[in-house]
Amino acid sequence: MAERAPSRRDLFRLAGTASAASALVSGSVTVTEAATDGEQARPRARTRPPREPLKALTAHEADLLDRIAELLVPSDANGPGATEAMAVRYIDRSLAGALSDQREAYRVGLAALERYATQTRGAAFLKLTETNQISLLIDVESGTATGANVGFDGSSAAFFTMMRGHVMQGTFGDPVYGGNEGFVGWDLIGYPGVRTVVTPAEQKLLTPPTRTRASAYENPMFNKAIVQQKPAGSDRDAD
Amino acid sequence: MRVSSIAVVAILAGLPGVAGAQSAPSPLTVTSPTLTAGQPIPKQHTADGENTSPALAWTGAPATTKSFAVVCEDPAVLLPPTNPQPFVHWVLYNVPAKAKGVPASLPIDPAAAMPAEIAGAIHGMSGFRRPIYRGPAPPPGKPHPYHFIVYALDVADLPAGLTRAQLTEAMTGHIVGQGELVATYERKPPTPGR
Amino acid sequence: MPTNLPGTDVVVIGLGAAGGVAVLPLAEAGLDVVGLEAGTWLTNKDFAPDEIRNNVRDWPMAVQKCNHEVPTHRVNAKAPTTRAAGHVMMNGVGGTALHYWAQSWRLSHFDFRPVSTTTARYGRSRIPAGSTVEDWPFGYDELEPYYDRIEHEIGVSGQAGNILGTIDRRGNIFEAPRARAYPMPALRSTGFLDRMTAAGRALGWHPFPGPAAINSERHDGRSACMYHGFCNRGGCHANAKNSPNVTTIPRAQKTGRLKVVERAHVTKIEVDANGKVTGVTYVTGKDEFFQPAKVVLLSTYTYENSRVLLLSTSKAFPKGLSNNHGQVGRHYMSQSTGASATALFPFNLNSWYGLPAQGVAIDNWADDNFDHSALDFIGGGNLWVYSDRRPIGAANMQTFGRAPSWGPQWKAFVKENADRVNTAYLQKSTLPYADNYLDLDPVAKDPLGMPVCRITADYQDNERKIADFIQDKMELWYRAAGAIDIVRGPLGTMGLNTHAYGGTRMGDNPETNVVNRYGFSHEVPNLGVLGASVMGTTGAHNPTLTVQALAWRTAEHLVRNWKSIAS
Repeated sequence: MAERAPSRRDLFRLAGTASAASALVSGSVTVTEAATDGEQARPRARTRPPREPLKALTAHEADLLDRIAELLVPSDANGPGATEAMAVRYIDRSLAGALSDQREAYRVGLAALERYATQTRGAAFLKLTETNQISLLIDVESGTATGANVGFDGSSAAFFTMMRGHVMQGTFGDPVYGGNEGFVGWDLIGYPGVRTVVTPAEQKLLTPPTRTRASAYENPMFNKAIVQQKPAGSDRDAD
Repeated sequence: MRVSSIAVVAILAGLPGVAGAQSAPSPLTVTSPTLTAGQPIPKQHTADGENTSPALAWTGAPATTKSFAVVCEDPAVLLPPTNPQPFVHWVLYNVPAKAKGVPASLPIDPAAAMPAEIAGAIHGMSGFRRPIYRGPAPPPGKPHPYHFIVYALDVADLPAGLTRAQLTEAMTGHIVGQGELVATYERKPPTPGR
Repeated sequence: MPTNLPGTDVVVIGLGAAGGVAVLPLAEAGLDVVGLEAGTWLTNKDFAPDEIRNNVRDWPMAVQKCNHEVPTHRVNAKAPTTRAAGHVMMNGVGGTALHYWAQSWRLSHFDFRPVSTTTARYGRSRIPAGSTVEDWPFGYDELEPYYDRIEHEIGVSGQAGNILGTIDRRGNIFEAPRARAYPMPALRSTGFLDRMTAAGRALGWHPFPGPAAINSERHDGRSACMYHGFCNRGGCHANAKNSPNVTTIPRAQKTGRLKVVERAHVTKIEVDANGKVTGVTYVTGKDEFFQPAKVVLLSTYTYENSRVLLLSTSKAFPKGLSNNHGQVGRHYMSQSTGASATALFPFNLNSWYGLPAQGVAIDNWADDNFDHSALDFIGGGNLWVYSDRRPIGAANMQTFGRAPSWGPQWKAFVKENADRVNTAYLQKSTLPYADNYLDLDPVAKDPLGMPVCRITADYQDNERKIADFIQDKMELWYRAAGAIDIVRGPLGTMGLNTHAYGGTRMGDNPETNVVNRYGFSHEVPNLGVLGASVMGTTGAHNPTLTVQALAWRTAEHLVRNWKSIAS
């Protein structure tokens, strides 16, 4: 079934989600939303941070991941999300460095995801309605996309798990790795931040302490080269 | 799309363990504009398409009906090994008594409202652990049967978040009508060399 | 051809929790010791509070040996094998004790004598079918002085519950008696832990703070714990975690008699025609060395201990060193630590900081502390509630069926509940069985072409029944503290585990045990084994303090009997 252009109703039918205009315009800097009659009022102009030069991903792969990250951890009434946190910057930097072994998994997985979008929902992923994008991600997540024979390497669920994991790391990890920009992730969940000393009072209260706003590596005692190291077992021979 | 055929009615025997005064449930006739009994389900209702829920229509519900429930399950996939049950693709209940069916493409966003014709209906938890419809995605190589079962109940306002098993328990003793439409779906094995 | 090195008195293979402790009494007694460690030294500069590195990327280390040798696992001899992506242990001077939780428990009387205790109280028929469990060759009383020694040598903080028979209700009223108090008071409590403690008391149970090899105050010239929340799979930036690399190993080095060799990958223990150990072959990068020794102590962690023996074949030991009785790899156990309970509270717990060793325990349902007459299992479990949470872990939190794992509903859920969830650590008695063992995998190999270890093991009925029972108790405790929802985790199967035991069991009978009551091989007089591989039961508490007490005792025995063992 051919994908018709999303109507305003499609774009804003889902309460509390990010602007779907961003689904159609990749790499834009300013994203605006207009509420329709009867829809909840939402924040007006919201600026997405400009994309930095990519180190590992292609521009199209980054566009896809930007949209997927926005759907996984949306910007909404509960605050900024993966977009503001620059989660995809974390993924790109990691794939250029410590997680370079997983670069190919993204190439294969995102290509399969694109093929799945066209084959099942009649258009490239970024041109789908938000509802269809979410529906597609649910099928990739559950593994049912695998049987559509669009080229996932093993189960589509494994690809989704990797992607989701990286988006979460890019939203909630230490900023030294390129994500959690402006401590967006830590602020969302109320994490008071890295401290190397925690006082008894800071553990006694039933409300959390004040927020430190620093990467662990702003403390000069720590060996920053550790950040570049590959994960455990990544150079083990396949058997 | 127009209705292209009338679904075969499945008539069920009386419920087990129900004593005495209760009569057997009335047979419901279940049809769909896009599903045909015994025929492949169109791709749009599966993981090979948009994966949207099909429209269903029913007739024959008795006057005592207070709500309807709809389940879609695949008895060819039985899980878990310790207590095998058909894999569940759809759980919908608290459909109002005045409804004559459910429209297609029910929302997948739990925050979105159901269409006005079935206002008050809620999704229960499917086998995919989400409160939405997720259509066929069988392992490739052989067709699976998909039972779209409609229950007419003499109770309403069942609690939120029920699984198929919990719904079955809640419905026991309250099923005053039942019918189903069984359609099939098969996925092709991967093309060699892909 | 390997390069022959000058001989030494003792080679200790592996400088983790066990080997790292044993080197001290040996060096202090004047023996020359070479400690061969596959990993490298690490310092607190390497221990940033970094969740991605510690918990997500799984502790990248300079040396990846253990990750290249991950054991395979199958539930029984008919099942296919699977293999995890990474190991649970790490290579380094200090071993996995570099980042372990450092809980430091003693075992109970029951753990040493499960067969005779069960027989006396409930009848012999209550020993589960298929179990190969034996009483240890000695009881708790024999090991008590070594527990005491280790607690004071490395520094363990805790609250005593039973000093020479006098009960102190601030501590564990069920513990076996100890000679004196801990050298440091227990780690402090938190608001949430206070709440759990009150709830435990309200149930009529006996909560108490747990012991830890972590400084609760300045000790031994090093800082107290900073409670910063990255202790779980993290090294200590304050050097407050009393791993061997900051305690016993430097002290042994000060005697001038310990030589630590890093990046030493031991490939074989060599023997002569008489079946006596002559030394050890190891590789460092591309170079191969033979280190002659009068005595070898094997302390490479449970899986590797069995593996090195099975790989060290010779004319005298065609089935593997010390394996002529076919006992190497036998009586394997992964402690039952699955079957968890996770609770949702309707209020914040302020659990962002702390450490896994900072917690409150209930032992009312552990060991034989309660009457099993009307029950259908033996043993029990330790209930442990602790303060420990990090942001990415929180984003991956259990949603109790209330939200999916991404999207706006998920985001709203984690925003509200990230600090409202707690998972208990439930260690449960586990027994050895005839069907659970370690051997060499017929297919999977390490980069040197040597077979990796294969685990054939699964939990049996006794473990399953304890799991259900203990989850019931934990749910009661959580709900008494105000939890509104509980999710129970699956028991899982007996695969790779940080608490791994057996394979070189200790006992008087050489037909059913690899080492004698002092930890020396029945078949090879100058080969000793250190580590949980010698333990015949797991008990319901962490193994490391027991491992260290046994290691000290083995080393002391070697010192006292040097002439007869070494000649």
